[in-house]
Amino acid sequence: MSPAVNGWEAGYILDRSPVYRRNKFNYRHLNAAELVDMQWKLGMAVSSDTCRSLNSPYVSLLLKIAEPSGQISQKALEMTIPQFQNFHKQFKEMAAIMETV
Amino acid sequence: MAAGLSSEDFTNLQLLLKAPSKDAVRDVCVQSHRAVSQRLTENTAATFSIPAAQAAQLIQSLHTLSHHVLFYNLTSPEQILAVFPESFHSSLKNLITKILLENRSDFWKLLRHVSLPQLKELDWRVDLVTGSDSVSRMAVPTCLVQLKMEDPCPSAVGDSISTVTVELSRESLDTILDGLGRIRDQLSAVAGK
Repeated sequence: MSPAVNGWEAGYILDRSPVYRRNKFNYRHLNAAELVDMQWKLGMAVSSDTCRSLNSPYVSLLLKIAEPSGQISQKALEMTIPQFQNFHKQFKEMAAIMETV
Repeated sequence: MAAGLSSEDFTNLQLLLKAPSKDAVRDVCVQSHRAVSQRLTENTAATFSIPAAQAAQLIQSLHTLSHHVLFYNLTSPEQILAVFPESFHSSLKNLITKILLENRSDFWKLLRHVSLPQLKELDWRVDLVTGSDSVSRMAVPTCLVQLKMEDPCPSAVGDSISTVTVELSRESLDTILDGLGRIRDQLSAVAGK
């Protein structure tokens, strides 16, 4: 059991270890946000003011994130195809480990 | 902005003949690409023993030239040499071409590309929650993911690197993998065409 329970009720975290709060079997790390939605787009950059003929494919993601406070924020990001492939690989690894733990 | 090259630009570029060494030519080419600054103008004027006004024009023309090469994606010596007028000093033309080709990828990286924040780093950790204030014994895996993104056009005040940390349950992770799988499928479909 977390030793900081009373401290948590009072609004403080007495020791610096993370405090877990149960919410119908959804365990929320109080310091981390929760990913609520992920939208994606596969695009092709055709041209820009710096390069007339870019022909560069990219993946962009729009992440909807719920902060511990409950506030929802959005983060948009872009990545190249090699970056996306590594991104995908990393998530597959996470899932594989989650499976075995 | 991709400005065209004029005959005036080539006149200015011939000022490079006043350089004390090939390294001096290389230095001014590389620095002009990044920005046209007062300090660079002064240094160039001093190094080349030319008036500041001429140094400024030389730097501006070099800047236009290096951006022109990137805009039109000129990647071979022949393509770059073709940009110069016939009458242009032959060995200087070759030297400038060589410098532009050598620095091509660095010059490209220095350009401000219009884009959303670019993914810089992905770090993650799988935790096993073994207990909480309401359940003394449990074994629920959870994943903490940290994304670092670099904004290519940061606001004056803001930091260009932003960090997002999220916690993912098994279900969220599966949903994400589903989405990523669809992107991969789309990529294969597009590549096949």
